[in-house]
Amino acid sequence: MSAPLQQRPARRWRSRRRTRRWAGWVIDIAIAAVALGPILWGLSTSLKPAPDILAYPPEFIPSRPTLEHYALLFRTGIHHFVLNSAIVSTAAVVLSLALGSLAAYALARMAFTGKAAVMFAVMALMSIPLPSVLVPTFTLLASIGLTNSLTGLALLYTAYQLPIVVWLLYGYFGTLPVELEHAARIDGCTRLQTLRKVVLPLSGPGLVASALFVLTFAWNDFVVAVVMTSSEDVKTLPVAIYGYLGFYGRDWGPLTASAMLSIVPVIAVFIAFQRYFLSGMTGGSIKG
Amino acid sequence: MHGGRVRRSRRPRGTEGRTAWAFVLPLVMVELALVAAPMAIGAFYSLYRVDYFELTQFRGLGNYWTVLTSPMVRQALGATVVFSLASLGFTIVFGMALAMRLEADTRVNVWLRAIVLIPYIISMLVGSLLLRWIYATDSGLPGMLLGPFGLGDTSILADPTLAMAALVSNAIWRDSAFAMIVLLAGLKAIPAQLYAAARVDGAGAWMRFTRITLPLMRVPLLIAVVRLLIHFVNVLTFALILTGGGPNNATQTMGLAMYRLGFIDFRIGEANALAILVFVFNIILIGVNLLLFRQRRGVTP
Repeated sequence: MSAPLQQRPARRWRSRRRTRRWAGWVIDIAIAAVALGPILWGLSTSLKPAPDILAYPPEFIPSRPTLEHYALLFRTGIHHFVLNSAIVSTAAVVLSLALGSLAAYALARMAFTGKAAVMFAVMALMSIPLPSVLVPTFTLLASIGLTNSLTGLALLYTAYQLPIVVWLLYGYFGTLPVELEHAARIDGCTRLQTLRKVVLPLSGPGLVASALFVLTFAWNDFVVAVVMTSSEDVKTLPVAIYGYLGFYGRDWGPLTASAMLSIVPVIAVFIAFQRYFLSGMTGGSIKG
Repeated sequence: MHGGRVRRSRRPRGTEGRTAWAFVLPLVMVELALVAAPMAIGAFYSLYRVDYFELTQFRGLGNYWTVLTSPMVRQALGATVVFSLASLGFTIVFGMALAMRLEADTRVNVWLRAIVLIPYIISMLVGSLLLRWIYATDSGLPGMLLGPFGLGDTSILADPTLAMAALVSNAIWRDSAFAMIVLLAGLKAIPAQLYAAARVDGAGAWMRFTRITLPLMRVPLLIAVVRLLIHFVNVLTFALILTGGGPNNATQTMGLAMYRLGFIDFRIGEANALAILVFVFNIILIGVNLLLFRQRRGVTP
C-alpha cells in the first residue's frame, strides 16, 4: 500500500524532468535552425542545378548536387573581387594595428596634455554610425580624387576601425605588468623600442581581437565600398555581389553561390578565433 | 645644483609629452582627415545648391527646408520610426531570452551562442540577400509554409505591411545576437546568491525575473537599447537589399533615403543637409551612449 504511494511522485518527477529535457532540446534546435536556416537554404540553392532551384515543392537537400554556379562565377572573374577584398582588408588590418598600437600605448602608459580629450574623442568616434557620414565623405574624397581606389578604401576602413582598435589595445596594454617596461627603459630602450620589443610581443590576444574586428569589418563592408568605388578593377566582393543582384536578377544559383563565397571565410575565422571575438565584443578585458 | 636637478627632471617630461603626441598624432590625423573633415565639408555643402559636385548657388538653409518639407523624407521618417521601434522591441526581448537561456557555460550553450552569432558576423549584405531569397515567391518557401492557410499566393515583399515585417525580421535575425552578448555580460555580473535567497523566500521564476534580474540589468539593457537604436535609425543595407525600399517606398528608411538622395538622385546639397540632420539626432544618442559607457565599461561601443 505504502510502496506505490511513495513511488508515484518519484516517477512523475522523473518523467517531468524527461519532458523538460526534451523541451529544452527542441528549443535549442529551434534556435539553431532559425539562426542557420537562411544560410543553409542558401548553401542548398547554390548547389542545385538551375531547374531544381525553382522546383515546387522546394527540395531542401539537393538531389543532383552541382558546382556549376561556382564555376560560372570563377569563369566570369569573381576571384578578382575576392582578391581586391583580401588586399583592402589586409591593408586596413596592418594600418590600424600599427597606428592603433602607437596611440594606445601612449594613452595607456604616458602622461601628456590633451590625453583626456583624445580618449573622449576615441570613445565618441566608436559609436558614429557609418551611413550618416557617407554622403559628406564621398563629397570630400571626390574633391581630392581618392574615390575609386583601393587605397582610399583601406584608409577609410582604417579611420573607421582605429577607435575600436585603440580602445581594445588600450585596455589590453593596461593589463600588462609595467615593471618589464621599466626594465627595458633602464636598459636604454626608447619608448618605441619598448613598445616593439616588450609590449607588442606580450599582446598577442589583444592584437588578434583587434585584427579580427578590422578584418571582418573590411571584408564585410558594403555601404562604404559601393559609394566610394565604381570601376570594375577596384570592386570588392560585397559590391560585386550587389552587382550580381542586378545582373542575375531572379537567377538565384550564382547569387547564393557568391553569398557563400563571401561568408565561408568569415565563418571559418570566427569559429577558429571565437574566444577573441567575444572578448573584443565585451570590451577591454581580453584574457590570454 | 638644486636648480639643475629640477631642470633635469623637468626636461624628460617635456620630451615625454612630445613623444606621446608623436605616438598619438597618426590617429588624430587620420580621424581629422577622414571623419571630421568630411563632416565639416558636408555642413558647408549643405548650404549650397550642388550640381554634380559643383557648388552653383548659395541657398542658406534652403536645402534643410526642402528636406524637412519633402514628402519623401517625411515618409522615410515614418518608416524609420516603425522599423526602429519594432526591431528594437523584438531584438531586446529575443536577446534577453537568448541570454537567459544560454547563460550557463555548458558545451551546448557555448556552441549555440556561436551559432546565434553567425548572422551577426557575416556581411549584412549577404544576410539580407539570403533572407530575400527565403521571402521570394520563386524560392517556394512562402508558398509551402503559407499554402496550408490558403495564403499560397501571398507575395511577401510586394505587400507594404508584410515587407516591413520582413525588414524587421531581418533586424531580429541579425542583431538579437548582439543584444544577447551585451545582456549576457550583465547577467553574469548578478550574484547567484541573490537568486538563491529569493528562492528561499518563496519567490517564483517570474518574481525573480522582475524583482532581481530586470532592476540589476538596467544599465546593460540601456546600453543595448541605445546601441541598437543608433544602428537601426541609420542602417541602409537591410532595406536596400531586402526590399529595395519598396513596395512604393513603404520600407524606405532614413539611411536608404540619404543614400538615394545622394547617390541615385545626385542631389548632393540636400543629401548633405539630411545627413547633418540625422547626425544631430545621432549625437543625442551617442551622448547617452557615452554616459552609459562611463557607468559601466562593459561593452565596446
